[in-house]
Amino acid sequence: MSNKIRLLIVDDEEKFLESIAKRLEMRGFDVRTATRGEQAVEITREEKFDLALLDLKMPGMDGKQVLEILKREHKYIEVIILTGHGSVDSAVDCTKLGAFGYLPKPYELEKLLDTLQQAYKVRMEKKFKVDQARMDKIAKLATGSSALGILRELKKLDDEEK
Amino acid sequence: MAKVKRQQVVSAEALPFKAEHYREWRRRQIIRMAITYIAPLVILIVYFQYRYVGLEDDSRRIHLGAIAEHQANTLDLFLTERRVNLANLIDHPRFSIPPSSEEMADYLSDLGRVSAAFVDLGFFDSSGVQVAYSGPHPSLELQDYREEDWYLTLRNAEVNSVITDVYLGFRQQLHFTIAVSRLVENQFLVLRATLDPGRMYEYIESQQAAGDVITCLVNAGGVYQLVDEHAGRPLDDCPIPISSEKHFGNGMIKIDDASRLYAFQWLRNADWSLIVQSVKNTGGFLGNMRLSSLIVSAGLLLLAVVVIVNRAGKLVAQQKETDQTRAQLEHAAKLASVGELASGIAHEINNPLAVITEGCGLLMDYTDPQFGHTLEEKELRERLDTIQSSAFRCRDITRKLLRFVRKTDFDLREHDVHDIVDGITDDLLGPEIEVSNVKLERNYDRTLPKLTTDANQLQQVILNVINNATDAIGDASGTIRISTSRRGNEILISIRDTGCGMTTEQLEKVFMPFFTTKEVGKGTGLGLSVSYGIMNGLGGEIEVESTRDVGTTFILALPIKLKR
Repeated sequence: MSNKIRLLIVDDEEKFLESIAKRLEMRGFDVRTATRGEQAVEITREEKFDLALLDLKMPGMDGKQVLEILKREHKYIEVIILTGHGSVDSAVDCTKLGAFGYLPKPYELEKLLDTLQQAYKVRMEKKFKVDQARMDKIAKLATGSSALGILRELKKLDDEEK
Repeated sequence: MAKVKRQQVVSAEALPFKAEHYREWRRRQIIRMAITYIAPLVILIVYFQYRYVGLEDDSRRIHLGAIAEHQANTLDLFLTERRVNLANLIDHPRFSIPPSSEEMADYLSDLGRVSAAFVDLGFFDSSGVQVAYSGPHPSLELQDYREEDWYLTLRNAEVNSVITDVYLGFRQQLHFTIAVSRLVENQFLVLRATLDPGRMYEYIESQQAAGDVITCLVNAGGVYQLVDEHAGRPLDDCPIPISSEKHFGNGMIKIDDASRLYAFQWLRNADWSLIVQSVKNTGGFLGNMRLSSLIVSAGLLLLAVVVIVNRAGKLVAQQKETDQTRAQLEHAAKLASVGELASGIAHEINNPLAVITEGCGLLMDYTDPQFGHTLEEKELRERLDTIQSSAFRCRDITRKLLRFVRKTDFDLREHDVHDIVDGITDDLLGPEIEVSNVKLERNYDRTLPKLTTDANQLQQVILNVINNATDAIGDASGTIRISTSRRGNEILISIRDTGCGMTTEQLEKVFMPFFTTKEVGKGTGLGLSVSYGIMNGLGGEIEVESTRDVGTTFILALPIKLKR
């Protein structure tokens, strides 16, 4: 299991996708890319991701639809919306649907990195809180259980983390 | 407060037309309504007035006719009595032939007592000489009357009495003659009296009621016998034409710009016609209109005018309001479409810009020693190429946009429409289409006249449409059929493909800028909106019909002669 932040980037602009993926990889991200919404949903069903960058306007399944599926299927994934559209209305809509935030294209890399970092922090906080509750539950459970039982619960928690 | 102020400013700006426009519009409304409402009113008023005047006219004619008949009867009676007076004298058993001058004087004074009109009395023996006379002109005694008309009439005709026209005669005084003849023991005897027409006129004048009519008497030749001194002089020609065929009648005559009604009646005893003229000037139609009805009519018209002017004012106000609302709506729509356009442009430009910034960023990363990366020349070239083509993508969008917005000057020349189409299909698309799965069919009407247009601009449109057609066919095999035809003063270029067609939703947006069904980088969504703009500029139209999964037909309609 790598210690890198796992990131999914979805954009129908292939040249853009290629460059941004390379640059973020150079900065220590574990990056997967998808040029279609449908493809992105498929990938997330096979692999776990910490964060996702989603283009809003795509042929076929658009960013909004992908966002809804990701948030439904993955509890802790944080999604950042990328948009080239002049109007931010749809991007704001997306934050209501659970996106962490949005970035208008083109952006400064520093800003993107900053947003990614913040999003990751939020994810960790959320997960930590849940973890705390879990631990408490396990601890409670532990008083009346065997040592093997406690170990099993902790392993489950670790798997969930992925 | 501020809000109200702003609204006022907006409405003033929003009015699309100037005050003169509304004045002109109001004027037209008034004229239109005047024609609609006042014209029938005027026609009705005139019609009823006309009928009314006609009725009044008729009744006055009847009235005049009655007066004429009455006076003619009176006059006839008068003449009959005078003739009987003479007949009684000559038929008297004690009438001596020839009578002595004393007897004649007695007779005349007897007659004078009966009627003041008698002037003198004469007796003629067979020789036609006045052998006995009594009256104010003793010089007329022994005068020979054999050649006088009235004498000859008596002599030759079957009648035994005669009444002459008024004449001056030997004595140079107006008079007329009543004569009776008798054949006694083969002697042709005539007793004659002259009468003063003036006295006779006094007689009828005294009979007539009010002074609203003038009576005159004319003979068969249309010469005044008796006439009011204001209307004419005896023995002058009467201007009123009297029909000798009808016993009575009426009519209207214009004398010195005054129209007068008259009625006539022929006498039975003399060849005279009695004419009664209305003193009042009938003045034709207008002259006869009653003042009261004129006032009522004018009042009605005035009311109609006031209503119309008022209504026109209201209509103009209404129209102003409508225009204002429409202008405001248009303004809002314009703003909305500017917003739509701006966000469309933003999207289309921001995406390639993101490609550029990321490409540049990557190159910077490669050359940054902290990442410890090396950059091969081939990769550098590829990256730069991507950056450049993205920049050109941005440029293409702004250029197309400008073409869409700006009306470029057209280079108008006469062309054969088929040369223009073939210029695209053969030279530009030819090689591309030959290898593709698309079959190109041509159905040209070669009899079409030459077209005045801008060939380059039109080719741009055709190219856009054909590109869309090939894209619609996609990887499947299909046909593009280009036909030309004529519709009135237009030439039609129809481009039909057997591609995927469009949904109604897509069809509605097809000419909207930035609407595209194509993938990123393949379509800007400006091709058809630019084409629409060009066709407008060329004075033509672009029409589209499409059925999903069947195909799409674009029709370019161009005026044969483009009026600038």
